[in-house]
Order: sequence, then C-alpha cells, then structure tokens
Amino acid sequence: MIHFYHVTKKFDRYSTALHDVTFHIEKGEFIFLTGPSGAGKSTLLKLILRQMRPSEGQIVVNGRNLNAMRRSQLPYFRREIGMVFQDFKLIERMTVFENLSFILTVLNVPPKEHKRRAYQTLRAVNLHHKLNSYPLQLSGGEQQRVAIARALINDPLVLIADEPTGNLDPELAQEIVQIFAEANLRGSTVLLATHDRDLVQGTGRRSIVLEHGQLTEERPATPARPPREGAVFGMR
Amino acid sequence: MPRDFIPGHLEPETPANTVSYFVREAIRRIWITKRTSFVSVAMIAISLFILGGFMLLSENLEAAVTRWQGRSRVNVFLDTDATPDQIRAVDAYLGSHPDLRARRFITREQAMARFKSYFANLSGVVDQLDENPFPPSFQIEVTPAIAQSRAFKEEMKSLRAMTAIEQVQFDWEWLTRLRRIIDVVNAVGLTAGGILALAAAFTIANVIRLTMLTYREEIEIMRLVGATERIIRGPFLIEGILQGTLGGILAVGLLFGAFELARHVLAPSSTMLWGFLFVSFLPLQKIAAIVVGGTVAGWFGSWLSVRERAAEDA
Ligand SMILES: Nc1ncnc2c1ncn2[C@@H]1O[C@H](COP(=O)(O)OP(=O)(O)OP(=O)(O)O)[C@@H](O)[C@H]1O
Ligand SMILES: [Mg+2]
Repeated sequence: MIHFYHVTKKFDRYSTALHDVTFHIEKGEFIFLTGPSGAGKSTLLKLILRQMRPSEGQIVVNGRNLNAMRRSQLPYFRREIGMVFQDFKLIERMTVFENLSFILTVLNVPPKEHKRRAYQTLRAVNLHHKLNSYPLQLSGGEQQRVAIARALINDPLVLIADEPTGNLDPELAQEIVQIFAEANLRGSTVLLATHDRDLVQGTGRRSIVLEHGQLTEERPATPARPPREGAVFGMR
Repeated sequence: MPRDFIPGHLEPETPANTVSYFVREAIRRIWITKRTSFVSVAMIAISLFILGGFMLLSENLEAAVTRWQGRSRVNVFLDTDATPDQIRAVDAYLGSHPDLRARRFITREQAMARFKSYFANLSGVVDQLDENPFPPSFQIEVTPAIAQSRAFKEEMKSLRAMTAIEQVQFDWEWLTRLRRIIDVVNAVGLTAGGILALAAAFTIANVIRLTMLTYREEIEIMRLVGATERIIRGPFLIEGILQGTLGGILAVGLLFGAFELARHVLAPSSTMLWGFLFVSFLPLQKIAAIVVGGTVAGWFGSWLSVRERAAEDA
C-alpha cells in the first residue's frame, strides 16, 4: 500500500530531513510512526501525500509511483487518503459543518447527504454539538477532532494521522486511537505518527521509528497481541 | 467500506454536486468583500450604461427613420409669386404622372398657419413681416418603394427644371444622412462600451486576483484534501459572472430610469424636436444583450485571474 525505496529528503544542502528510508506498509495494516521531535515524521507523511517530492528515491502509494504521477491525477490520488494534519488545516472561514461539507463536495457526495454524513462522523469523535462553530471558536483538542472527522468521513483507503493525539488528554487519546482502529477494521490502512511512546506501547501494533531522519528501528507486531480489535480495546 | 483501488481510476465531480457550492461560495465571497465587489459591479454597470445609451439613441433614430419612411413625402415649392396659370400647369403635370398623382396643394396662407402652429413662439416674428414669406407648395405622398427607385429620381430632375418651381424637397435625402449618423452612433457606442467593458473586466480580474491571494492558505488546504482546480476556481468564476450579470442588470435599470426621466421631464419641456428620441425603450433582445454582455465581461475578468495560477504547487 505504501512503499518507500531509499527515500532521501533534503530541504537545503546542510540538513537532511530524511536519509535513505526504506519501508513497506501492506494493505490493512495499522502501523505507528514514532520518533522524537524533528526526526522527520511530518516530512515522511508529507511525502506520502505528495505535498512535496523526495530528493532521492521512489515512493509508491496505492499502486501509484508518486514521482511519475501526473499533476492532473493528484487530486484524485489525494481523495483516497484521509490525512489528519499536525496543524489541522481546517478552513477557518467555514464552520465545522462547512469544512466537512466541503470535503463531501470534493468527494462528489450529493449535497442532500452532507448533513447526515457530517453529523455521523462528528458523533464518532463526540463533537456533533459543535456543528455550527467556527474552528477558532474550538479548543485545540476539538479542532483536532474536527480534523480527524474530516479524514475519516469517506472511509479512505489510507488513513494517515500526524500527531492526532497531541492536544488530547490520555483518555481521549485512547478513544481516538480506538476510532482509528475501527476505521482499520472497516478496511483502511492506518499510519499514525506520534512521539508519544505510551500510546504505542502495549498495543502490539507494528511501529517504525525515525531518528534524525533515519529509520532506526522496525518493531514487528507483538505476536502475543495480534492487531485485533481486542488489542486496542484491551487498553481501556 | 473503502472502495477497492482501481489504478488510474478518475472520478470527475458531477456539476449537480458542485454548482450549488460554487454559487453559495461566490455569493459569500462577494458579501465579504462588499466594497470591492461594488466597485466591480459599478464599473460594469457604467460601461454597459454608456453602451446601452448609444443603443437606445440609435434605436430611436432607427424607429424615427422607419416611421418617416412609411409616408415618404415630396414637397414641391413654387415661386412665391407664381401665377394661378403656372400653378395649374404644375398641377396638371403632376396629375399626369401615376407616381405623383397623390398630391395636395398648400396655399401660402395654409403654409403660414402651419408654421405658426408648429413654432408658436415664433409666430410673433412672422406677424411682424409685411408679406407672407411662405411659398405655395404641393405635397405629394409616394410609397417608399417608388421613392427608392431610379426612375423616380429622373422624374424629380425634370420636375425641378419646370418654370415656377423653386425647389423640390424629399425626406429621404436626409433620411439617408440620418442613417449614416445612426451607423456612427452605433460604432461609437460599441467602441466606447467595449473599451469600458474591457476595463471593467480587468478590474474584476484584479479584485479576484487579490481575493485569491487572501485565500491562498485555504486554497492550499483544498488542494491537499483532493480538490480539483475546477472546484477551487469555480467559486471565483461564478463570483465574476455574478458581478458582471449584476452590473448588466443595474445598467439596464439605470438606463430605463434615465429614459423615463428624459421622456417625462426633458422631452415635453423642450421643442418637439427631441420628442422623437424618447419614443421607445430597448427591445427585449437588446436588454438581454446588455445583461449577457455583463455576464461575459465578468466571466472574462475572473477567467483572466483564475487562469494564471497554473505553475506553482509541488
Ligand atoms: N519546509 C522545511 N524547510 C526546511 N526544513 C524543514 C522543513 N520542514 C521540516 N524541516 C526540517 O526537517 C526536520 C524534520 O521535520 P519534521 O517536521 O518532519 O519533524 P517531526 O518528526 O514531524 O517533528 P515533530 O514531532 O516536532 O512534529 C526538522 O529538522 C525540520 O527543521
Ligand atoms: Mg511533525
């Protein structure tokens, strides 16, 4: 589903955000991407969404070679990916509902279904009462949950989240991880970036670790705790 | 359930799902930038108002021409001191020509009376004259078809050569001159209106360019979540189209107001000379043309600004 082949990303001559990164994520996996701040997690995710291009190496996502992809295909490619951005990237001029409705418009969902779909998705993140608030009227954690709702709304092929629990208390963080687990059960491949090791430990999920732009560790899923529903639910 | 992935599978948006979004967004954006939007609309309205003014002028001139052509008239003025015999001779001559048979004799007194009734304020001047200055004349009604024929021109020539005939005048000589004036009016109106509309389109383009700059971050977000350029640019295009159309409608409204004002206030107070310019307002097709002109100008302006951003983006 997501394949990196010797990917290097340099922003300038002196700093290398990612160095010779190779990994593979298969369809249906739920995988954590961890590493300290500045390790290159966000950069890696941006490369997946083709927000930027790698300096070297190849990236294949959903069967498409991102280096060779035509720009006209980019929007359609991105629709297959639900992305929770670290800085949320909500449209401030629009209410929560309008933010979601816009995505549904982009996804070609008939307007009369928008209300129901938006409400449903917001319910999942427990924010259905904020339908008509503007992002700036929400707390950081609430904005984050709107961003999550937006990524979830279409059951994307790939669900990517950049620090989706960064602004949430531990309890809520677990709930969010559970929401991702449910999306995973519905068929989405999930990649979750976080520097919160507690969140990763004990889930039994596979994780890859970045340090200074290099892939230092790949921990396989713990055999004793297979990545089933129970793995996540068991943490509560 | 997530859809199964089909490589290279593209799913274009259906217009039905996006158009309502475009219109809602466009109206919202116009509302947010009320003042600049108003400038755009006013620019369009003014240029189309001027264009429409010329159209209205030529419309009424045209109408007058056709009106007058319907009853083409030849005036044969005799010498002031023409004898009754001479008058009878001319009458006989006219009577013998089928084309000129529909004649009416106007005596000097009738001519003076008519002048006085047309130009009441000048009647005092006429009364002070020792002698009636108006010559007797024949008024001949001819059909437009005959009036336009070559043979008729020859007849007029020989009529002019007769004794006791001072002058032969026919309407359509100056009607053709009027036609030429109409052509000029049309050309000037189209040129001026076109240039102004173009200027208005560029104003719209600049306003939208500025709007797009302020929306840059938002546009970037839209791209990241998979919005096509069509969805991103749609509202801007609609914004221009709405502004242009609004300008067109406003122009028609202003034009109608000005027309009614002229007809009811200006025309009656001055001499009848102006009356014929304010008889009819523009026909429906021309009203539609003005509004559509606004739409096109608005669309062109927004298209100009929206077309530019193609490079950029990683
Ligand atoms: N646009 C950019 N221009 C220059 N340098 C950049 C840019 N984006 C990221 N970097 C650098 O690349 C490195 C990796 O950044 P990145 O945002 O990927 O880290 P991260 O792992 O997501 O950190 P955090 O956990 O704090 O979000 C950092 O040193 C950062 O300064
Ligand atoms: Mg980051």
